[in-house]
Amino acid sequence: MSKLSSETKVLAEGTVVVALTVILRDILPPVYHLPQGGSVTAAGMVPLLWFALRRGLRAGLEAGGVYGLVNMALGGYVADPVQALIDYPVAFGALGLAGLFRKYPVLGVTVGIAGRFLAHFVSGVWFFWMYAPEGMNPVVYSAIYNGGYLLVELVISAIVIIILDKRHLLDIYL
Amino acid sequence: MFDGFKFRSVSSPVHTMDPRAKFIYVCALFSVAVMFNQLIPLLILFVIQIPFVVLAGVQKEWLRSMKGSAMFAVIIFTMNLLSLYFYGSYGSLPAIIERSLAMTVRFLVLIESFSVFFLTTSPDLLGLALEQSHVPYELCFAFTTAVRFVPVLAEEAQTIMDAQKARGLELEGGNFIKKIRNYIPILIPLIVNAIRRSLELAETMESRAWGATKNRTNLYVLKIGGKDIYLILVSAVIFVVSVYVSIYIQFPALTQLLVG
Repeated sequence: MSKLSSETKVLAEGTVVVALTVILRDILPPVYHLPQGGSVTAAGMVPLLWFALRRGLRAGLEAGGVYGLVNMALGGYVADPVQALIDYPVAFGALGLAGLFRKYPVLGVTVGIAGRFLAHFVSGVWFFWMYAPEGMNPVVYSAIYNGGYLLVELVISAIVIIILDKRHLLDIYL
Repeated sequence: MFDGFKFRSVSSPVHTMDPRAKFIYVCALFSVAVMFNQLIPLLILFVIQIPFVVLAGVQKEWLRSMKGSAMFAVIIFTMNLLSLYFYGSYGSLPAIIERSLAMTVRFLVLIESFSVFFLTTSPDLLGLALEQSHVPYELCFAFTTAVRFVPVLAEEAQTIMDAQKARGLELEGGNFIKKIRNYIPILIPLIVNAIRRSLELAETMESRAWGATKNRTNLYVLKIGGKDIYLILVSAVIFVVSVYVSIYIQFPALTQLLVG
């Protein structure tokens, strides 16, 4: 097994991580339903964050982007091309930003999820700008809506990543 | 548990079309829908898509996605109604209602066209289309292979959950913190198993000479064929007609028609 080129290993790992994310986010029942409609997934972003912390920024960005595409193809919610791009490949790709702080997993997780928040936030503003006339303030609404469930997800992801780190699962089979 | 994720391989003329042609169609509809903000043209745009849905034989799934967007549609409608009523300079209430309805229908038109695209395009074909649009092959490979892996991993997740339940893990009930803590004994084996699987995958890839040749060829090559050309032509016609109409013809408001 040790003769494998690292490039192939990273690609294979990324592929499996994307599939695992589909399982956790879309197939397992969510942990918690939020009153305003969103739901908190069963640590759904952990595999992508874990992969970014393990393999660095570029691999993390790419895996996130591919997951975004898969998620969209398996039944995404698309209203227009710009929103499609920002809400799926860009938002999940942003989780790869965790790879910038490989030494500090919790900081990495926070930055990655903040990146995802930013993407959904921008798309939310865009969405309301498309369909709402002047006089509304979409900024606040989008921030509250997206911030709410992502904050809960952030807490869960951070706890899980800390546990994985304690058990040295961030760098098994490297 | 994962019925919804198996692509329903219905074969219809629409399913076998080139994804790129369908993408052009979706883009044409998008630009047309953005061009208009009156109710009548948007309603026409909504209705002319229905034959396409029926042709593809995805009415049931299509209805489900329409139901799914009902909540958003209601939000858009009320938002428009309220802000036009309080801040807008539209005047009469029927005009405001019509304008709000127009915005809602615009949203539905877009959701409709995109959902038809995804409902009728298998992930395999989508991966092939990405590849032939010069997206780096590694990413296309990851896309198709990940989709293929989903049922396998789902089964594995089910096995792990059953095993841990058999050992006394309570998954239902408990408060928020307890739920997360109960989740760890499932997540860790899942991740470790996935990594083992990825090593197997890497070994398989290398033993089949992954990355040995620079220029990959495909057994199946997407070609823009007869149907695809028709669809592109139809999209082009819709687009050109709409541009013409939006410049030269002023659509009357529905309320005006009804009143006078």
